[in-house]
Amino acid sequence: MQNRWNSLFLLAAVLLGAAWTATAADPAYRLLGKTAPDFALRGTSGANFRLSEHRGDVVAVAFWGSRCGTCGAQLGTLSRLVDTYQSAGLAALAVNVDDDQSAAASFAVAHPVSFPVLLDPGKTVARQYRVDNLPMLLLIDRSGAIRYVHRNHRSGSDAQYLEQIRVLLDE
Amino acid sequence: MNRSNKIWTAWLVILAIAAMAATHVAMAAEPAKSLSGTDALAPAPAAATAPAAPGADATAAGTPGEPATDAQAPVAAPDTRALDEEIQSIKKDVVDLNRDLFVLEEELLFPANTQVAVFLSMDVGEFFALDTVELRVDDKQVTKYLYTPREAEALLKGGVQRLYLGNLRVGNHELVALFTGKGPNGQDYSRGAQLKFEKAVGAKYLELKISDRQRKRQPEFEIKDWE
Repeated sequence: MQNRWNSLFLLAAVLLGAAWTATAADPAYRLLGKTAPDFALRGTSGANFRLSEHRGDVVAVAFWGSRCGTCGAQLGTLSRLVDTYQSAGLAALAVNVDDDQSAAASFAVAHPVSFPVLLDPGKTVARQYRVDNLPMLLLIDRSGAIRYVHRNHRSGSDAQYLEQIRVLLDE
Repeated sequence: MNRSNKIWTAWLVILAIAAMAATHVAMAAEPAKSLSGTDALAPAPAAATAPAAPGADATAAGTPGEPATDAQAPVAAPDTRALDEEIQSIKKDVVDLNRDLFVLEEELLFPANTQVAVFLSMDVGEFFALDTVELRVDDKQVTKYLYTPREAEALLKGGVQRLYLGNLRVGNHELVALFTGKGPNGQDYSRGAQLKFEKAVGAKYLELKISDRQRKRQPEFEIKDWE
């Protein structure tokens, strides 16, 4: 009898713990719904890129690092989406936050993408965007407001990106 | 089972149900958060009126986040013209108010007595492709601007950019501009220009001018004081 009570109590504690973790682990992103701060960065190609030049497009900004395990997968997904929806007004910018620019360049060579890869070694843009996890993906609507944020890349993320990008492209 | 055991069982069942409900709410929180942003920013009929993106199939219309549906669209149709006119009028008012606010803000932040503005223009650009400009006033960096190919092209077409707007007290000051880019043969090129000027009462306007010196086949950088 005592064992049954112990198991029940343990089960309740585990469920409560899970609920607390789920609510506390993903704090609200402060810039959600606000205008995305403008920035200009140098790309790995040598050219400079400015976010505000894409006003009117739906823009995906992906922050990544060469040591991040799932960043390559996220960039690959994004590259496929850009290939499909570029003509409908989808643009993407990948912002690398590595201190070592050569590591970023070699990673970019190993994971070729169809959009500009920008370098932010000083992390000024990452700070502006309050990047607290890698990879981090922001979806910006045609008016320049941050509408969706993803602080991780999971197995079901591809479908989520597609769904949200379609919503923004249809506006 | 005695009475206290029954009470314990009841409490544990309540706790378990509450925990499951909280988990469910937490899992639903992220899409709800995104949807609330969508609702606040996107007008309701936008999804129904906007042209569909190529590749977007019928499933896109049923995605969460789109408030309008095909069934609702015909009901809202009769009032759309009046509503549209009202929206346009409100938009115009907002633009006018925004302009007035901008002018007032500039007058407050940069009063005419202390105002200093630095502009940048480019002429020809055959021997120099602009990349960055760094401005220093009295040995203190006030701005550093990175130019995209489109911005450089706009400058070459005759555009003038207001690079810096700030305040300086009356007296003598020094402005240093550092230009980097690609030089005559495509090599990295860096040059500076300097101007000592006197700030009197009233606004001060300075212009950084990049032009080609054909005779030497080199770019020329000068700072011009608009008296």
